[in-house]
Amino acid sequence: MVGVVIVSHSLKAAEGIKEIAQQMGRDVPVAAVGGTADGQIGTDPLAIKEAIEGVMGSDGVLLLVDLGSAVLNTQLAVEMLEDEGQDQVVLSNAPILEGAVVAVVESAMGHNLEQVKKAAEEAIHMEKLL
Amino acid sequence: MKVAKDQIVAMIKEMAISMAENKIFLTELDSAIGDGDHGINMDRGFRKVLERLPTVVDKDIGSIFKNVGMSLISAVGGAAGPLYGTYFMEFGKVAEGKEELSNGDFKMMLAAGLEGIKRRGKAVVGEKTMVDALEPAAEAFAVAAAEDKAPLACFQAAVAAAKKGKEATIPMLAKKGRAHYLGERSIGHQDPGATSSELVLRSMLKVLES
Amino acid sequence: MVETTLKIKNKSGLHLRPAAEFVKKANEFQANITLERGGKVVNGKSIIHVQALGVRQGMTINLRAVGVDAEDAVAALSELVNNKFGEE
Ligand SMILES: Nc1ncnc2c1ncn2[C@@H]1O[C@H](COP(=O)(O)OP(=O)(O)OP(=O)(O)O)[C@@H](O)[C@H]1O
Ligand SMILES: [Mg+2]
Repeated sequence: MVGVVIVSHSLKAAEGIKEIAQQMGRDVPVAAVGGTADGQIGTDPLAIKEAIEGVMGSDGVLLLVDLGSAVLNTQLAVEMLEDEGQDQVVLSNAPILEGAVVAVVESAMGHNLEQVKKAAEEAIHMEKLL
Repeated sequence: MKVAKDQIVAMIKEMAISMAENKIFLTELDSAIGDGDHGINMDRGFRKVLERLPTVVDKDIGSIFKNVGMSLISAVGGAAGPLYGTYFMEFGKVAEGKEELSNGDFKMMLAAGLEGIKRRGKAVVGEKTMVDALEPAAEAFAVAAAEDKAPLACFQAAVAAAKKGKEATIPMLAKKGRAHYLGERSIGHQDPGATSSELVLRSMLKVLES
Repeated sequence: MVETTLKIKNKSGLHLRPAAEFVKKANEFQANITLERGGKVVNGKSIIHVQALGVRQGMTINLRAVGVDAEDAVAALSELVNNKFGEE
């Protein structure tokens, strides 16, 4: 199963999103990471790297981010991974919450990293006001 | 004329002092067009730099700068972390194995650092970021170095260019970072990152002046 | 093609969680699965598409499957819907 990492400026936000997403598939490995090393609002590439390693399996990992430095620090975290690991993680442009929900559904169905990424990114078109 | 390692260490300490002194100022600038944490971020980052500095002062200048970069990456928390972190990591690559630095070394460091920031943040001049201060600074340094000026004069030229570049961010519309979300509202405010960039270079100059 | 009409009885309709259950089940089959409501036809294996149909309690949908295991797919999905996805 494809792992999912949720990177937010706030650990609370990341954990909340994880909680919502995991309702869709309890067995999917999901990690939430956020905040600075001293617990402030921000992002920490070393913590992100650990989070990625924590859910890394043979099917790879999809990374979902909120804004700004979450993108830069996640890219940095990916560069810090071992070479083999780098090929197995992808950063997605998906909306963080909707994307996480869809990614977990897709991963639970056994879809591959590319399929999970594509579906998560399509979540931007998710209709809410039906 | 070369700049010795103890002066480089002094420059780094000077940066930390400058960030602590300007913590509130930078945070105020960031409150106007960002999330009001740039000064806090930079101060937190450079505290980490100071904390780790003793562990590397006996090593070459390259290792010292790489340590600055890693400290900033691990402690800053905002966009400035990966950006300045990359900047100093690139300094460290140029200065690898060196115990003193020439004008040519500094020129290459400023150019490589700038390239690193641009690669990571994808910003170009005119988008209201630290690049607006660092790019003219690197160019001015290169011009002065080509004229065979002493490091002091080269840094003076670089800092003057950074100051101008920083001031030029005021009328700009932000295209990168948090200020970008504000659109037109970002116009009329000085970019916090360009401001801290000038302070970084000014700290290096200060040591050469003393 | 195997086709059936289903009435959505669970409270939240084909909202996110039930939609997820639906597409997970649908993905267990090879058959091409579509849902139709009010003239709109969507891929029954896509969570985005299924939830975007906006199916609420009391509405009816047409479920169609084409493929070798179409029969089983329709049976399994009908059961899921009729059992209200385990919801109230
Ligand atoms: N993509 C970028 N390229 C170059 N500089 C950037 C970029 N994004 C932001 N900056 C610079 O970073 C400064 C803001 O740094 P700060 O530490 O406050 O990060 P932040 O924007 O709060 O980070 P976050 O994305 O976590 O909210 C800006 O003033 C700008 O100069
Ligand atoms: Mg900020």
